[in-house]
Amino acid sequence: MIKEPEPEIEGKLFDAHLTRRLLRYAHPYRFMLAGCVVLILCMALVQSYLPVLLQAAIDRYLLGDDEPATRIAGLTRIGGQYLGWALLAFGVRYLQSYWMAWIAEHIIFNMRADIFAKILRLPLGYLDRHPVGRLMTRVTSDVDAMQKMVSDGLVGLLADAFVLLAIMGFMWHLSPRLALTLFTIFPLLVAVMGWINWNTRRAHRRVRHKQSALNAHLQEMITGMLTVQLFNREPQVKAEFDRRNQELRGGWFDTVRWISWFFPSMEVLNALSITLVLSVGGWALWSGSDTVTIGVMVAFMAYVRDFFRPLEDLSEKSTVFQSAMASSERIFRLLDEPERIDDPAQPVQLESFRGAVTFDHVWFAYNDENWVLKDVHFEIAPGEAVAIVGATGAGKTSIISLINRFYDVQQGQVRVDGHDVRAYRQVDLRRRIGVVIQDPFIFSGTIASNIDLHNPQVTRERVVEAARYVNAHRFIEALPQGYDTPVQERGVSLSTGQKQLLAMARALVQNPDILLILDEATANVDTESELLIQDALRKVMRGRTSICIAHRLSTIRGVDRILVMRHGELIETGTHTELISREGYYRRLYELLAHQPCS
Amino acid sequence: MPASTTISLGAYVRRHRSRIRQGIIFVFVSVAIHMGMPFITRYAVDTLVDGDFRLGTILGYAAAYSLAALAMAACGLRMRRILLSTGHQIEYEIRRDVFAHLARLDYYFFGRERTGDLMTKMTSDLTAVREFVGQGLFQGARTALSASLAFTIMFIINYRLALVMLFLLPTISLLFFFLLRLLRVRYADSQEQFSRISNFSQESFAGIRTLRGYAMEARQQERFGNLNTDYIQLKMALSRVERPLWPAMVFLFGVGVVLILWVGGRQVVAGQLTVGQFVQFSQYLFFLQWPMLALGWTVNLWQRGMASWQRIASILQAEPRIRDNEQTDHSITTIQGDIRFEQVALELEGTTVLHDINWVIPAGHTLGVTGPTGSGKTLLASLLARLIDPTHGRIMIGDNDIRTIPVDVLRREVGMAPQEAFLFSDTLANNIGFGLDEPDPEKIFAAAELAELHPDVEKFPARFDTWLGERGVTLSGGQRQRTAISRALARDPGILILDDVFSAIDTQTEAAIQARLQPVLHDRTTLIISHRVSSLRHADCILVLQDGRITQSGTHAELVQQAGYYRELDEVQRLEACLEGVS
Repeated sequence: MIKEPEPEIEGKLFDAHLTRRLLRYAHPYRFMLAGCVVLILCMALVQSYLPVLLQAAIDRYLLGDDEPATRIAGLTRIGGQYLGWALLAFGVRYLQSYWMAWIAEHIIFNMRADIFAKILRLPLGYLDRHPVGRLMTRVTSDVDAMQKMVSDGLVGLLADAFVLLAIMGFMWHLSPRLALTLFTIFPLLVAVMGWINWNTRRAHRRVRHKQSALNAHLQEMITGMLTVQLFNREPQVKAEFDRRNQELRGGWFDTVRWISWFFPSMEVLNALSITLVLSVGGWALWSGSDTVTIGVMVAFMAYVRDFFRPLEDLSEKSTVFQSAMASSERIFRLLDEPERIDDPAQPVQLESFRGAVTFDHVWFAYNDENWVLKDVHFEIAPGEAVAIVGATGAGKTSIISLINRFYDVQQGQVRVDGHDVRAYRQVDLRRRIGVVIQDPFIFSGTIASNIDLHNPQVTRERVVEAARYVNAHRFIEALPQGYDTPVQERGVSLSTGQKQLLAMARALVQNPDILLILDEATANVDTESELLIQDALRKVMRGRTSICIAHRLSTIRGVDRILVMRHGELIETGTHTELISREGYYRRLYELLAHQPCS
Repeated sequence: MPASTTISLGAYVRRHRSRIRQGIIFVFVSVAIHMGMPFITRYAVDTLVDGDFRLGTILGYAAAYSLAALAMAACGLRMRRILLSTGHQIEYEIRRDVFAHLARLDYYFFGRERTGDLMTKMTSDLTAVREFVGQGLFQGARTALSASLAFTIMFIINYRLALVMLFLLPTISLLFFFLLRLLRVRYADSQEQFSRISNFSQESFAGIRTLRGYAMEARQQERFGNLNTDYIQLKMALSRVERPLWPAMVFLFGVGVVLILWVGGRQVVAGQLTVGQFVQFSQYLFFLQWPMLALGWTVNLWQRGMASWQRIASILQAEPRIRDNEQTDHSITTIQGDIRFEQVALELEGTTVLHDINWVIPAGHTLGVTGPTGSGKTLLASLLARLIDPTHGRIMIGDNDIRTIPVDVLRREVGMAPQEAFLFSDTLANNIGFGLDEPDPEKIFAAAELAELHPDVEKFPARFDTWLGERGVTLSGGQRQRTAISRALARDPGILILDDVFSAIDTQTEAAIQARLQPVLHDRTTLIISHRVSSLRHADCILVLQDGRITQSGTHAELVQQAGYYRELDEVQRLEACLEGVS
């Protein structure tokens, strides 16, 4: 039996190649970053200076032999200094962390914009293969993981290192003897905490795997619950779920075991350090040495606890790094994806098309050698209206996709106005070609924004004019807020007929020179809308080159010429009357179409 | 049914009360030791200040400090293990019960609830509840105990300094609590913008063809940029609250040190406070640091945990409509006989989708049903499998209303291959044998053979043991449908429902399946729903359903004689076949 494959691999803690690419994004902010590092350094120094003040207060004034009034004045002064330094520490810390957050947001902004732009450029084949949900993860949670690493992980690590160094420096300054004693146990401390940390992380990772396996299972069960019930499998399914649930619980119990060790071990190590301070300090005082004072010992106790703090969230930080590395790998893999369809270095400039379209012995396949178009050859004159007919899978839609260069041909050439479509900039080409789809994609926004597609050059008058022309104005006016009526994504609130009219307005509003129409058969349009659509279609096709994948007889009858496709080949061409009289494939196809829609 | 009777979170907690009590005892002991430790430092410091001491005394204090820490750590270890594991145990129990309850819920529930929402309840909401129960209870108990003990001790030692602390520390807690609340609001704002970004990307990627077709890329990128600029604004507003949080806490505890220095220091100079006591106070200040922060955090956990629990409880409160109840006649153990739809009507969300269906399927007959999309064909099948109940009329099998038949008896007899077959990520064999109590390779093989699946199986990497789904072999539409047919047949059901299961299967394979199925269908009552004349023509009778009504009925031969939907369908399909044949 095939084993259930493991979920995807975890990211590494550190990857030099990925880090270099990340640094490229940080490059524009390098001076600010340097400023940040300076601030971190200041913060570490200021913060670690505070126990020195405490030491002075204790040794000089609490234990001093001066007049009480002098001692109280001294205490008040040192207290004031302490407050000042603490305030400074607060300011520097806040400034630094806010600044860093700002830098991180901007670095991430650029990265997110790059990813988004990249996805918009990727070949359609890639987008067909990858579910939208997964692509979204790239611009959302993956980017978020990076943001966390830049703003917290990276800086946190640096700050921790500075603080540890500063503490060690001040310790040395106060009492080399006590400092050396404590330094001897620091390796032990790091080793023990590192070991517990490593195990906790491992246990956590196991829990994460089990959790995601359980979640996947649960999601599947929720989706398939009715199937489960139809087959009376409730007891079995419950037992299986319980098994996985128990496994997850076991994983958590493991994790709890390690987590529970963490703080107690730290407390013990902390106490051990204080014990050392007391014994070594006490011994020094006992032997009459003046290298250690009570104030120094108290300051050391304060340092000990500051020293432990960075170790507390080490585990969290390493998780941040790990997930950021995994995310950046996924992000860069996406950014490195070849785009295949490139703009030429010296594109043919154009104002508008006359509208001549030529297919010059075109061979085309979506993959390998599964030819969808085989040696298709035809010419369409400017202003001509052409219908392409054929059974499903004959290659009609591919012809449309090649004209506006969603894909590139393998052999032959697609030419518009005598130039290969590959000679134009894609944007220029598509701007002059309008596409009308039967079930158009409705963006969330308003009716108007779905017609002008957020093009600022399209005025409201133009939108209304286009809508009026294609018979859409009437239904739009009837909506509660007219052209400003909000519509939801996928246009749930619009009927199929309304969406089709909207699609025509959308195409018309940019006044294209060439019109591509995908007139798929739809059953859910009432007769009145059907008439409106037919009328609109006739109107938009007037005066411009139009290529229509037709299913409506009225459309087919209305064109200048018909191309008949079968299994990727162009088998017949001519006017409706010519083709009907030929008694060939077209004739039978026509009879079939005459029967639809059958409801 | 444990799930529906205990829907209070308290009940889950109470079930473990002895464990929790044990945990709390460890909390108490560990806190008591912790709060006692500053006494050791105090006496040690005072001894040192005194000047005249034996080395043994001070080493004794030092050793005592470590020993106390060891004892405290031992208790701390037990307390965490007990309380945190209890949290996970309770999480496990809730998840188990909710799942068991989901297994009872019906079509109405799953039709209404979105899988994503249910998943959120079962994941992040459950995590919030667990954190509240595990961390919340443990931190809450610890905070309360630490604070009360520390303040008692401080008041006993020096009430004036204690009063200063009493003023400072709760202020910190309160401030922290309010900052956290503000943080939550701003966090919610930025999350909202985040989901706008996410929806925008979703829409852009889903509508990529339109985007490209209309050369909208530049504009779309600009709009994406604007959304992100707003997001930065909101994130920075969040940062303005979030970033000073920790620095402010550090600073406020610094203020605490200063206060001890000013107030306590004066007392030391005046001889009212020893240096040891001074050090002891500053240690309490440090020890209380975490509990004071934890207070605000715990309240937060509690609020979130309770809100999440409400959402989880809403699943547990949902009652299935399709289930055995007082009408159920438990003496029914098998079902047989004619199936009769008697004046059946079905209303869904206020619209009547099936009108006055009267029909008898004699036992052993095959009924074909066809009609345009949305005419109610699948609903008819769902009524028979009792996924939904009719709003009017009744469905009889033999002499029993199907609502009186125990649900599992009915389902045992009904084998259904639905329109969109749901296959599990499991092996092919387990998917086909899904309805079998004992996996039986022979039955599985026979069922696969009936559905013409075996030639495909031969090509799979591990034949019947091939894993299906995202992490294994992805089946084609036709293969999925044939797997669904096999799955229904493997149970050898008395009533077989095939709901549009040939749509993705090519005509030749369909013919082969039809040929194999004929003898099998003779032994059982069958309902075949299809858009294809070829699947329907062998049926004993065919119904045409339009807008929820039966508009035509008869055998294939009869129906092709009448003008109407069925004849149109037949003609179109013959033309299509003819077109395919042209060369």
